[in-house]
Amino acid sequence: MREFNIVLAGVGGQGILLAAEVLGTAAVKDGLNVRVGEIHGMAQRGGAVICTVRIGGNVLSPLVLDGQADMLLGFEPVETLRNVKYASEKTLIIIGDEKIPPPELTLKGKGYPKMEEILEKLRQFSKKIVIVEALRLAKEAGSPVMQNAVLLGALAAVGKMPIKKESLVEALEELVPEKYAKMNVKAFELGYKYAENVKEA
Amino acid sequence: MPDPHILLKDEPGKRVLLLGNEAIARGMLESDIGVVTTYPGTPASEIGDTISAIAQEAGVYMEYSVNEIVAVEVAGGAAACGVRALAAMKHVGLNVASDALMTLAYTGVRGGLVIVAADDPECYSSQNEQDSRLYTLLSNLPCLEPSNPQEAKEMVAYAVEISEKLELPVILRTTTRVSHTRAPVTFGKLSKSRLKGEFVRDVKRFVMVPAHARPRHDVLLERMEKAKEITENSPYNTIKPKGKDKEYGIISSSSAYNYAVEAAELLGLDIDFLNLGMTHPLPEKLIGKFLKEHSKAIVVEELEPYLELHVKAIAKDCAPSTEVYGKQYFPRSGELSTRLVLKGLAAITGRKLPINFEDLDRRYSEVSERLPPRPPILCAGCPHRASFYVIKRAAGEKAIYPTDIGCYALGIAPPLKVGDILVCMGAGIGTAQGISKVTGADTIAIIGDSTFFHAGIQRLLNAVYNKHKIVVAVLDNLTTAMTGHQPHPGTGMTGMQASTEPIAIEKVAEGCGVKLVRVVNPFNVREAEKAIKEALQFPETSLIVFRAPCALLLVREKRRKGLEIVPFKINEKCTNCMACIKLLGCPAIILKEDKTVAINEDICVGCGLCANICAYNAIVPQKQARRQWQNERI
Repeated sequence: MREFNIVLAGVGGQGILLAAEVLGTAAVKDGLNVRVGEIHGMAQRGGAVICTVRIGGNVLSPLVLDGQADMLLGFEPVETLRNVKYASEKTLIIIGDEKIPPPELTLKGKGYPKMEEILEKLRQFSKKIVIVEALRLAKEAGSPVMQNAVLLGALAAVGKMPIKKESLVEALEELVPEKYAKMNVKAFELGYKYAENVKEA
Repeated sequence: MPDPHILLKDEPGKRVLLLGNEAIARGMLESDIGVVTTYPGTPASEIGDTISAIAQEAGVYMEYSVNEIVAVEVAGGAAACGVRALAAMKHVGLNVASDALMTLAYTGVRGGLVIVAADDPECYSSQNEQDSRLYTLLSNLPCLEPSNPQEAKEMVAYAVEISEKLELPVILRTTTRVSHTRAPVTFGKLSKSRLKGEFVRDVKRFVMVPAHARPRHDVLLERMEKAKEITENSPYNTIKPKGKDKEYGIISSSSAYNYAVEAAELLGLDIDFLNLGMTHPLPEKLIGKFLKEHSKAIVVEELEPYLELHVKAIAKDCAPSTEVYGKQYFPRSGELSTRLVLKGLAAITGRKLPINFEDLDRRYSEVSERLPPRPPILCAGCPHRASFYVIKRAAGEKAIYPTDIGCYALGIAPPLKVGDILVCMGAGIGTAQGISKVTGADTIAIIGDSTFFHAGIQRLLNAVYNKHKIVVAVLDNLTTAMTGHQPHPGTGMTGMQASTEPIAIEKVAEGCGVKLVRVVNPFNVREAEKAIKEALQFPETSLIVFRAPCALLLVREKRRKGLEIVPFKINEKCTNCMACIKLLGCPAIILKEDKTVAINEDICVGCGLCANICAYNAIVPQKQARRQWQNERI
């Protein structure tokens, strides 16, 4: 099997590590070889966070080479752009639409960059872009913290991943606290349905 | 995170996705280790945390020691009694532990003793990126380097085996990309850990007075001669002869090995690899053989040219005509990557890079040029924000603020900007004394609760005894927050998840002879400000404890108990003066598209600090909360 690379990027606290772990766990359920790269500690506190998931028989390193992502899963628009160097024209970019202004902008009294500008720049790397209303859907499922489950659902719907949807749902149920499992699966399904029906941006 | 109880399953052959550190924890359970000690630190923290969660059921003794040297001593004491033990720490923790380690190398051990040192190339969460492998030369102790979680698990058992064969502690060195990579790990058989040991007196061996130490140095040297046989035949030092091309051969270890294999493949290099898993002592004969078989040897390793120095020395004796390539092609600072290794290999072999990185970099710099940076910051509701705000308000811009290792190092970010010198655990209080002595400036040393217990107390004693006029500000959030909320002596909880008597920082300070000790709640701005001003007037050492629970813990606890979290909102009285933004820099306070101030209710946890400082009473809770945040305790 050819390798399949996923880059997850966003802001510390958005549940990116958990999403990456769900992907990795699902891959193991499907009998695949996988590496998940994480960064813990200081870097996590509200800062830019990136996780990588690589699936495939010969994969050894957890790091994705520039331009070699099959999927770029952005939890936040600015952070998606920050990691666009992993993308090429074959990459599918999925963006969660929650805008978290970098503190520097707020301090300088500047507003968040315009979404259309961000999209324009992303398109210079890949035109395959899907925007997911992750915050709204997560709230619909029960809590804004479940945007990660929404985005995983979207990824499962349109990502053409070598992982089965059922394995992802199983892994998600196993890895979140028991009492939130149902809500997370609901969030996942909402993300799945949304992405199935939405047009590329 | 997976439930750590999965590690207790005695199902050999079971394949599970584990973090490198979780794999090390499983490795302990497969190798009869009875005592586990640690002081948390990225990227080593999950080794102790995983064991702590299951220690009771596993029949293992686990403790969060007060610092790394104590961790090594506790583990070393147990190992002297024949019980297998493991002490885990981050690379800089090994500096703290090194005093004990250097001489434990002389006394040796009876039960296997494994010292895990997790390096952090790129300083993702550290103050330096030292290469722990150099400690193996200094201490003359064996060293193992896994390159993935499966090896990390296996090497715990292998380290125990070598440790008992040689009666020496063994260093297991990982890096961020081993400790913090998740990969499939296959379980082996669980062992039954033994906790009961016996101390057999042997004064000449264990009491290192000079007369005893001299012969023990020779014993260490003899043992390391034996280690040379082990390393020559180690299953982890292997030549992977797949190449047709015998011109080039790559020598590598740890995470660098993964990059090297992938990079060679991308370049279409069909060459041999020598992967080294036991890197002290190095298999000189095996390396010599590899050098003789290849006219060009490429050493790919992260950080210092540790392997390279040895390989060059061996080449001089065994294969003088073989050229050795190393750090002139691969960076000595920062983390390696497949890209960096590709670049080095391409330059050495003259192959064409398979990816046009230059074009990619150019296009990326065009789109990312004006991208606002997003450094890590204090969380919404963090009590440190309140402490820094009030400290700055009371002591001003002219005061000097030595700071320390922990979340509160993030206080350097604007607008708080508290933190003028940061070196290592405890050094805030230490450097403050020299600074205050020679400048006469108001000097406020910032230190966290866990760091205070780890390294602050002796520095405090020095300050009191030598009458240094400094203010020690202990930012006590009742946990070791940065590394994942581990307990410390102030928390009343042990690594065995049992309760114990907490030790109050203020009492420790009084016991050290500090004559002005205050405990304040940082969210009570007026009270806290008064205490700081009083301390600044005090002619000797003073200490203020700023006590309020970590916001992450408090929110988690509230959710668990089903308590409501009431975010704040901006009302019509707001004049858009921006004081809340300019003074606090809280991520929950944002600007709307029309440039008016708003509170992001999804991030705000209702700490009320902004409401407290708003001159117009324009920030109010969304609804009346039953209790004020600042009066809450975990």
